[in-house]
Formats: sequence, structure tokens, C-alpha cells
Amino acid sequence: MSSGLNLLIGISMGLNLLALGSSRLPSLIRVAAAQGVVLGLMPLLMEHHFSWLVALTAVTTAVVKGVVIPTLLRHAMRAANIDRDLDPLIGFIPSLLLGAAGTIAAVALVRVVPLLPEHRGLLLVPGSVAAILTGFILLIARSKAISQVCGYLILDNGVYLFGLLLIHAMPLLVEAGILLDLTVAVFVIGIIVDRIQRAFDSLDTRKLTALHE
Amino acid sequence: MTPTGPLLVIALGSALGAAAFLRFPRAWLALVLVGTAAGLGACAFVLWGGPAWDWPGGFEVAGQPVHLRLDGLSALFLALVCVVGGAGAVYSMGYWTDAAHPRSASRGRLWWSEILLAMGFILVATNGLHFLIAWEGFVLGSFFLITLDQSRREARQAGWLYLAASHVGTLCLFGLFGVLAARLGTWELGPVRGHPELAPLFWLALIGFGIKAGAFPLHIWLPSAHGSAPSHASALLSGVVIKMGIYGLIRFGGWLPVPAAAGWVITALGLVSAVLGVAFALGQHDLKRLLAYHSVENIGIILIGFGFALVAASRGHAAWGLLAMAGALLHVWNHGLFKALLFLGAGSVLHATGCRRMSGLGGLWRRMPWTAALFALGAAAISGLPPLNGFVSEWLVYLGLFDAVHARGASSLLAVVSAILLGVTGALALACFTKASAVVFLGAARSEAARRAHESGWAMLGPMVALAALCAAIGLFPVLAWPAVARAAADWTGAGPAAAAPAELRTLGLCSLVVAILGAAAAALLWRRTAAGSLRRASTWCCGYAEPTARMQYTAGSFAGIITGWFEGVLLTHRTQVPAGQGPGRAPIVDEGVPSSLDDHTPEAVLERVVGPAARVVMRVALGARSLQHGRLPAYLLYVLAGLAGLAAIIFLACILT
Repeated sequence: MSSGLNLLIGISMGLNLLALGSSRLPSLIRVAAAQGVVLGLMPLLMEHHFSWLVALTAVTTAVVKGVVIPTLLRHAMRAANIDRDLDPLIGFIPSLLLGAAGTIAAVALVRVVPLLPEHRGLLLVPGSVAAILTGFILLIARSKAISQVCGYLILDNGVYLFGLLLIHAMPLLVEAGILLDLTVAVFVIGIIVDRIQRAFDSLDTRKLTALHE
Repeated sequence: MTPTGPLLVIALGSALGAAAFLRFPRAWLALVLVGTAAGLGACAFVLWGGPAWDWPGGFEVAGQPVHLRLDGLSALFLALVCVVGGAGAVYSMGYWTDAAHPRSASRGRLWWSEILLAMGFILVATNGLHFLIAWEGFVLGSFFLITLDQSRREARQAGWLYLAASHVGTLCLFGLFGVLAARLGTWELGPVRGHPELAPLFWLALIGFGIKAGAFPLHIWLPSAHGSAPSHASALLSGVVIKMGIYGLIRFGGWLPVPAAAGWVITALGLVSAVLGVAFALGQHDLKRLLAYHSVENIGIILIGFGFALVAASRGHAAWGLLAMAGALLHVWNHGLFKALLFLGAGSVLHATGCRRMSGLGGLWRRMPWTAALFALGAAAISGLPPLNGFVSEWLVYLGLFDAVHARGASSLLAVVSAILLGVTGALALACFTKASAVVFLGAARSEAARRAHESGWAMLGPMVALAALCAAIGLFPVLAWPAVARAAADWTGAGPAAAAPAELRTLGLCSLVVAILGAAAAALLWRRTAAGSLRRASTWCCGYAEPTARMQYTAGSFAGIITGWFEGVLLTHRTQVPAGQGPGRAPIVDEGVPSSLDDHTPEAVLERVVGPAARVVMRVALGARSLQHGRLPAYLLYVLAGLAGLAAIIFLACILT
């Protein structure tokens, strides 16, 4: 039971590193989508008894994160006709090292976090912290707008993982709301990316600093 | 039924009414005079034997019940407000006329009424919140009076500096009153000696009120504000406004539990202010700035007296404490009177010549005999010469110091040092006013403006005569002023009835009378002699030269050169000499075309060497912090991550430590 869950979390941690190491936009989107699917399936494993509600949540999450959002992103990417290469602000190897260090630190940190007894054996908290850190590194170290959206998605996956600790306390409505927010955000970003590309002929966020004051 | 309440109502009514007649100068003046006279009457009644006036209003303003109280201490200061406020109002009729200043004259009247009202409310308020409201109004009023002549850049800068310094002080007062209200659960002010944990609040009061009082080194705003304001406003600023700081200090020094070191610190501040104030004054060649630095000096004298009163209070109210306190309180009055007189005199000179630099004045005694004589009287009073009022109050402080020498302990040592430094201050002040009076009024005119000077009208001379008469009256009959001062000192500690006048004061009064009569007789004799003999008018200070010129006279800089040389390390006087070089044998290289000259300038050392650099450092740090805000989103996210990491580190450390 918990070993299956831990396996999924382990896969998600691996996907984190894959995201940090990927040098092209489509593969980054694919990694983020895969992680979304993996995490989306987790509620099914956490429940002892099958429940329609949880199953519905899991399937919806997996579909939205694994299919809808990546489709939107690919569409935006094609519409804006972006160069597929990621030009990193922090190189791939340093990013990988940072991500690995973050993951190790997250596993170490879990010892000092007070947890409920039933969560002790799980990697939920370190997995969540590792994903959040990875998201941050992507947001900081990649300059293209779409890659930043991917960083944002991975960050959100981390938050979602943390939310699984509260799966019994959190109503379905909240879960659905978060998912809807995410989808709408990505949808809007897809449109904005197109506009930015048309207006500035670039999606490099480093060039978008004229409005800072 | 005492007359205090009705008189105060009349004062309030006419002050408010005056604000309605800003466009009609005579009506405004009449109302202000009625108001100040009524206020003065109320104060006199309280000071000379009447009971304190207490009025629990029964209604609320700003959520706090109104409660007003006029006791001896408030009345002493309110009397000064009324006297200087009335005198300055009359003076402004001749000095800042609607014809000469069509835009600012009525505005000046508005703020004049406002500041008098605000100061009155500060003095009678017993609620912390109302005190703060009145204090803010008072700060605003003085700001607008300083910047009355908005077209002058230096006036605007002086106003700015004043506002900034005042806000630092007001911030401290907000802290003081806020903590008091939080600890006591009420905004009502009163003696809280029973809470020894509140003692550190005294230091907040010291900074907050010390900035307003202009004690060295908190005086940075004072010279430029006094120098740049119109002269009647300078008289009010120097005579009354800085006394509000003294009032606050004395009031809260009596109410709050006082830390053990307070008396010592205040005495030390007073000594530094007195000696350095007069040293800086010697370095000034602008008549009004010179007077401004003398305010710092006199505040120092007041603080010495007050500091010794605190030291005495910490030793079970020794008798010498009362003498020092009485000296300080009387000096509040005296300084208010003679400094207002001197500023009005300087205003008269400025009005006649349009020149504040002493190097452009000279020989004015012949053109403006009244102004010159009244200024000289004020100068003698501020130098502490008998038989005038400055001597009386300084002498009371000296008496307190001498008695304190007999007391055991460290305070006797402090008293010896203080007495010596007070003596030094007096001597330097005498030198400084010799310089000011001599350079401005004696000798020959140094400029065309000074040659064509004219005597001021009676609207300007009248208030000066009145202030001079008060100076002479306190000097000649000090026993009459004693009950008022003793009453205020008794109300300060709340300890029993007012003390009887010390025997020395009667002796002093007699001596002063004798000196005055002898002096008058000698002057009359001299006058008859010169009038009877063939009185020959010649150019002054000709030193036996066949053809003297005004350039041969002592200048302000050369007169004070030796003394300012002693304080070189503090004053940072900047000299410019033409010709600059020296030829062989120390003889100056003389260029026929360029007249040789020597000039020096003494800047405000604390402002330029301490506050200025500190402000620049703060500015640089602040601008550096702005470069964090650059618009690059990844870096902002990095800040967030760094913040999170910091929080995690704190939690981690806390877990390890526990």
C-alpha cells in the first residue's frame, strides 16, 4: 500500500530531475504532464475502500494535468512559433545538482516535521518539498515564458502532493476549484504568450522589465 | 468664583475672533491684544496667589474627555506666550505690512493667531491625545511662520529642516504618550511617580522635547529657522516656541518617575549647549543667526538650572534645588523677553537697511538711536549684566550651584564645574554682544544701505520699549517676580506652598536699584558736561589716521577671531583671505587692483558633519535597496525562495535547539 504510494512519489522525484535536465520545450511539457498523471493517480492508492468520489477526483486530475493542460501549452507553443530550445539562466548541470541537493535536503527535513502517525512511513512531504523546489528552480533558471509555466505546474504538483495529506479534510469542491483555476491560468497564459510574441518578437522574460516602476 | 475661567474664555474668544478679521489688520490686532491681555490677567491671577484653574469639560473631543488645567507652571509659560505674542502682533503692523507684503501679510496673521492658540492649548491640556493634537498644530503654525516669505529659497529650506527635525521629536512624543496610555489605561496625564518601570520613558521625553528646545546637539534646525523667519516670527520662535520644549521637559520631569542619571545628563546637555552655543554665536556674522545661537546658549542655562533641580529632587528635595529651579524658570521669562527684544531690534535694523550681514552695517547708532539703545539694553540683559533681568536669573542659578557645592557627594563636583563653565559662558556672551552691538551700531557705516538707514516707526519701537521695560522691571524689582516663580516651582513637584523669597534677592534688588540710580546720575552728568562744552562730531574709530575709511574698522570676523580660534576644533571655521599668498618675510603680496580682505564663515557643524553624512549614508542604502526592484521575475522568485529557505532554516534551528 504505502510502498506503492512511495513508488509513485519516487517516480515523481525522478521526473523532477528529468524536468531540470531537459533542454527542449516539448520534452519539458511532456515531463510536467507525466508528473501530473502520476500524482493524479495517487488518491486511488491512498484509499482503503473504493469510493466514486475519490475516483472521480483522481481521473479528472489526471486528465486535466496529463492531457488538457499540455495540449493548451503545445497549442500556444505552435501558435507563437517559438524556438524550441531552452536557453537556461542557470545551466542544466547546476540545475540538476541544485534539484538533487534540494531533494536530499527535503528527505532530511522530514524528520523534524511533526506528522500524523499514519503519514510517517510516506514520502509525501519530501516529495512535495522537492517538487516545489524544482518548480522554483525552473521558474528562476529558465527564461522562456512557456518553460516558466511548466515550472509553475511542477510547483503546483508539489502543493497538490502536500494537499494529499489532508485528503479526508478537504472537500471535493476545493480540489475541483484548484484544478479549474490551474486550467484557466494556463489557458490565459497561452493567449498572453501569443500576444507577447507578436508584440515583442520574443518570449524572453528578461526583456520584459520596462514596467518595473 | 475666580476670574481665571472667564478671562481664559475671553482670551479664547478673541483669538478665534481674530481669525475672522484677517483682512482687517487693525481689528485683528485689537482682538489679539484683548486676548493676550485677558490671558495674561488669568496667568497673573494664578501666579500671584490665586488657586489653580481646573475645568473638567464634560464632553469629548476625538474620543477623549476634555479636561483643562492651568496651574502655576502652565501659567508661567502662558504669560510669556501672551506677552511675546501681543508684542509681536503689534510689531508686525509696522514690519510686515500689507502694503509691502500683499500676499503673505494676512497669512502671517492667520498663523500667528493659530500658533498662539495651539500653544495655549498645549499649556492647559491634561489629556495626552489633546496635547499631541495641539502640539502638531503648534509645529505646523511655526512651520508656516518660518516660511512666510516663500519666495526666498533659504526660508523654504529652513522650514523643511524645521519640519523634519520636529517630526523626529513628535515621533518620540507619540512613543512616550502611546506607552503611557498603554501602561496606565488612560490618556489622562498626571503624576505617575508610583510606576518606577516607566522611568526609561524620560529619555524619550528628553529627545522629543529637547529637539524642540534646541539643546546642543539637537539644535540643528534652530539657527536657519530663526535666521530665515521674518523678525517678529523669529522673536516668537526664540522667545516662546523653544520654551515649549522646556515646558514639556519640566512638566514630564515632574510627573514621570525620573531615572537616576537624568539630572546629570540634563546638566551636561545644558553645559554643552551653553558653552558651544555662545562659541558658535561668536563665529556668526549674520545678526539673526548670531542671536539664534544665543538661544542655544540660554536654553543651556535653563537646562543647567533644571538639571540641578532634578539632582536635588533625587536627594530628597534639597533647598538648593529650589534656587536652581527658580533660576531656570525665571530665565525662561527673561530669555523670552530679552531675546524677543533683540530679534525685534535686529528686525528693525533689517527693515531699515535690508542687510543681515554685519559686514554691511555699522554706525547705525546715529541714524537709529532708539533701536540702538533698546538693542544695547537687550544685549546687556542677555549678557547677564546687573541691574537687568538676565543677571537675576543667572544669579539664582549660581546661588543654587554654590549651595550645592556644600552638599556632600558627586553633585558638589558637578556644581563646581557647572559654576565655572557658566562663568565662561557669561564672559563669552558679553564678548559676543560687544561684537554685535559695536559692529552694527558703532563706528562708521560700511555700506550705502547703512548710510541711508532710517529709524523705524512706533509700531515697531513700541513693543520693543515695552519688552525693555519688562526686562528692567524684573532686574530692578526681582522680589516682585519671585512669588510667580516660586509658585511655578512648587506646582512642579506638587510639594507644599510656594517658598518665601530668599534674603539675598532683596539685597540684590536694592543693589540693582542703587546701581541703576548711580548709572542714571552718571549718564545725566556726562550728558550735561558734553552738552555744555562744545560738542564736536567727528568720525568714529579714526585711530589717529588723517583719512580713515570704513574698511579700517574691526569687522565682525576680526573682532571675534581670537576667541573663535580657541574653539577651532568644534567650529570648523572656514577662512578666505585675499591676497592668499605671502611674499618673503611674511609680507602679503599686494595687488594694487584687488583690495585685500579677510572673511570667514562658520557652518552649522553638527548639521554638516554629523546629520548630513548620516543622511547621505541612509540615502545610499535606500537607493541600493531600490536596485532589488528591477522587474526580472525570476529574481523575484529567487527572493521568495530565499525567504522560504530562511524560514525553513529558522524552524530547523529551533528544532535542533529544543
